[in-house]
Amino acid sequence: MRKRAGVSFYIFLSLFIFVIMFPFLWVFLTSIKPPIEIFAGFNWFTTNPTLQSYISAIDTRPLFLYMWNSIAVSSLTTVIAISVASLAAYAVTRLPIKFKGTILGIVLAAAMFPQIAIISPIFNLIQSLGLRNSYMGLVIPYITISLPLAIWILATFFKKIPFELEESAKLDGATPFQTFRKIIFPLAAPGVFTTAILVFIAAWNEYLFALTINSDDNWRTVPVGLSMYQSQYTIPWGDITAATVLVTIPIVVVVLLFQRRIVAGLTSGSVKE
Amino acid sequence: MGDKKKGFQLSETQLGYLMVLPALILIAAITLWPVAQSFWNSMFDYRLNDPTRNQTTLSYQIDLETYANNYFYIDRDLEAIENEAAGTELEETVAQLRQEIETYHDQLVTLPEIEEQYEIVDEMVMNFEPVNDRDLRYGSLEKDFAEGYISLLEDGQDELLDAIGDHDEEMESALSAGAASLTSLDRSLIRPNFIGLQNYGKYLTDARMWSAMWNTVFFTVVSVFFELTIGLAVALIINRAFIGRGAVRAAVLIPWAIPTAVSAMMWNYLYDGQSGVVAHYFEQLGIISDASVLLSTGSGAMFSIILADVWKTMPYMALLLLAGLQTIPESLYEAAEVDGANRIQRFINVTLPMLKSAILVALLFRTLDAFRVFDLIYVLTGGGPANSTESISVYAYQVLFAQSNFGEGSVLSVIVFLAVALISIIFIKLIGSDLFEGKTGK
Repeated sequence: MRKRAGVSFYIFLSLFIFVIMFPFLWVFLTSIKPPIEIFAGFNWFTTNPTLQSYISAIDTRPLFLYMWNSIAVSSLTTVIAISVASLAAYAVTRLPIKFKGTILGIVLAAAMFPQIAIISPIFNLIQSLGLRNSYMGLVIPYITISLPLAIWILATFFKKIPFELEESAKLDGATPFQTFRKIIFPLAAPGVFTTAILVFIAAWNEYLFALTINSDDNWRTVPVGLSMYQSQYTIPWGDITAATVLVTIPIVVVVLLFQRRIVAGLTSGSVKE
Repeated sequence: MGDKKKGFQLSETQLGYLMVLPALILIAAITLWPVAQSFWNSMFDYRLNDPTRNQTTLSYQIDLETYANNYFYIDRDLEAIENEAAGTELEETVAQLRQEIETYHDQLVTLPEIEEQYEIVDEMVMNFEPVNDRDLRYGSLEKDFAEGYISLLEDGQDELLDAIGDHDEEMESALSAGAASLTSLDRSLIRPNFIGLQNYGKYLTDARMWSAMWNTVFFTVVSVFFELTIGLAVALIINRAFIGRGAVRAAVLIPWAIPTAVSAMMWNYLYDGQSGVVAHYFEQLGIISDASVLLSTGSGAMFSIILADVWKTMPYMALLLLAGLQTIPESLYEAAEVDGANRIQRFINVTLPMLKSAILVALLFRTLDAFRVFDLIYVLTGGGPANSTESISVYAYQVLFAQSNFGEGSVLSVIVFLAVALISIIFIKLIGSDLFEGKTGK
C-alpha cells in the first residue's frame, strides 16, 4: 500500500522525530548552560554557552574510565559470544543433527530467563572465583544474555545462504569444517557483523550484574557509573547532562554508521522473508 | 579444531554435535544451573551477613574456629562459678555440666574426620591467625552427636540463667559470664538451615510482595499496550516512500540503543519538580496540578515510568512492525480493493492477519522485558515514593543485596522466574511453531 508522501505527512514526521529527540535535545542544551542558569528557568537557549559542566563531570567521576571498562567488557563478551554462537548456529541450521528443535528451544528459554533469577548464584560463583571487580567477572554473566541472542540471530542469517554451496564444496573434497570456515562463515560475515553489533549494545547497556558484581568505582561500567552521579542531597544536573551527552555520542556514532545492519538484525528474528 | 590436519575426519553429524556442545555447556553452566540453585537456596534460611547461616546446609556442621576460640574460656568460666558456689548444690550441678562438656569435647576432637582439622585450627587460633579456608574451618557432625551436644549446652545455659535470681551480685556476674560462653560455644555448632517452603509461605502472604507484583503487572500491561498501539499506528503511517528514511531510522534507533539507566537519568532530570522541563510544561498545560507531583506521588511516578518506557521502546516496536508491513504483498491489497473492501476492512482482513506473527513475537519479547523491569525503576524512582512503583525485580534485589538475605530473596527470584515462564508458555502456545520457522534448516 505505497502511498504518496504529502505535506501533512512530512509535518507528522517532523513532529514525531521532534518528540523522540526532544529529551536528547534538552539534555544537550542544558549541558552547555552555565550551572546557574540551569536552576533559574526554562529558557531553551543560553546566551553564554560554556563547557563548565563537562569539565566538572569529568573531574568528579572517572567517566572515561567507565567508558573504557564498558568497551573492554562489551568487546570481550562479543568475541566470546560470537565464536561460540556461530558454531552452534551453523550446526543447527546446516548440519544433519537431531534435536534441533530442542536445542533452539533451550536457547530461546535461556534468552527469556529473568536476570534476577540467576543473580544470587552467579554472585556467589563470581565471588568464589575471586573475580569481583574485574572484567571477567562481568563477561561470564554477560554470556547468559549474549549467547542466546547471538545464536538466535545468527541462525537466521546462516539459513539464508544457498545450500548448493555446501554441495559443491563437498564435491570438491572439502571437509565439513573447512566448508564452514572457508565458505559459509565468510559469506555470512555481514550477518555475523550485525549480530556482533547487537551483542555489543546489549552488553554495553546491562545494569543489574554490573551494579552488583563490580561495586568498586574503578571497575564500574557506563550505565552504573552514570547512575551514581546523583547524590543524596544535591543533584548536579549540569554534570549529569554533560556526562549523558558524552556517553551518548559513541552510541549515536555506532547507530549512524550501522543503522541498516542494526535494523536487519533486529527484524531478522521476527519477520519471515 | 586441528583434527583434519592429523588425518582424522569427523562426519558431518559428529561435527554438528561438537559445534553445539560449547554453547550448550555454557548455557547449562551459567543459566540453567544458577536457576536450579536459586530454587535450592529459596528453601533455606540463608543470610550472607550472619556467620551461622551464610551457607546452605542439610547436615549439622561445626565452625571450628569459633569453637576453638570459645572452648578455651568455658573451663575458666565454669570453674569460677564452682569456686563462688563452693559447698552448695549449684557447685555440684556445674561440676557435672563441666564434666559432660569435657566428655563431648574429647569425643569431638578425636572424631576421625575432625581430629587433624581441629589441631590445625586450634594452633592457628592460639597464634591469633584468622582461618580463611572454608574447608579447614568447617567440619560436619553426626546428627545424634551434634543434637546431644547442643541440648547439653542449651540445658546448661538454662540452668545457669535460672540460678541467677537467688544469688548475690558477684555470683550473678559469674553465672551470666558462664551462660554467655555456653551460648558462644553453642553458636559454633551450625544447625541445618533447610526450612522447606517456609520462605514461600512468608512471601505469598506478604503485602509488599503482592503490591510489587501488581505494580509489575500494571506497568507491563499498560506500557506494552501503548507501545504496541502507538508503534503500529506510526508504522502504518510511515509505511510509504518518502525522503529522509535514514534520518527517521536513526532517530528511532537512538532511544533504543542507549542504556536504560542513562535514559532513566535523563528522564529523572526532565521530570524534576524544580528544574524539569517536562514537569514544567505538563504543569503549564494543566495535565498535572503541580510540577512536583510527577515524582513525589505514587500515581505520578508510575505514569512517569510508563512514559519513559514508551518513549524508549515504542520507536523500536514501530520499526519491527514496519519491517513486517513491508513483507505484505501489494497484490493482496489490490485484490481486496477489487472486492470492494474499504480501508478499515483492508486493515482488519489483510494487514492484521499478515502481521499476526510479527506482532506476537514482538509482544512476547516486549512483555518479558517489561515484566523483568529493573534498571528503569531502580534509577528513576528507586521503587518509591513509599514502594508505590517497586517492581518485583527491584524488591528481589533489595532483599538479596540490601538485606543480604539470599534465602528469602531467592523466593522472589523464583516467583519472577515462574511468572516469566508462564507468560512465555502462553505466548508460545499462541505463536505456535512459527517461532522456529526459517531457523532449523533443511
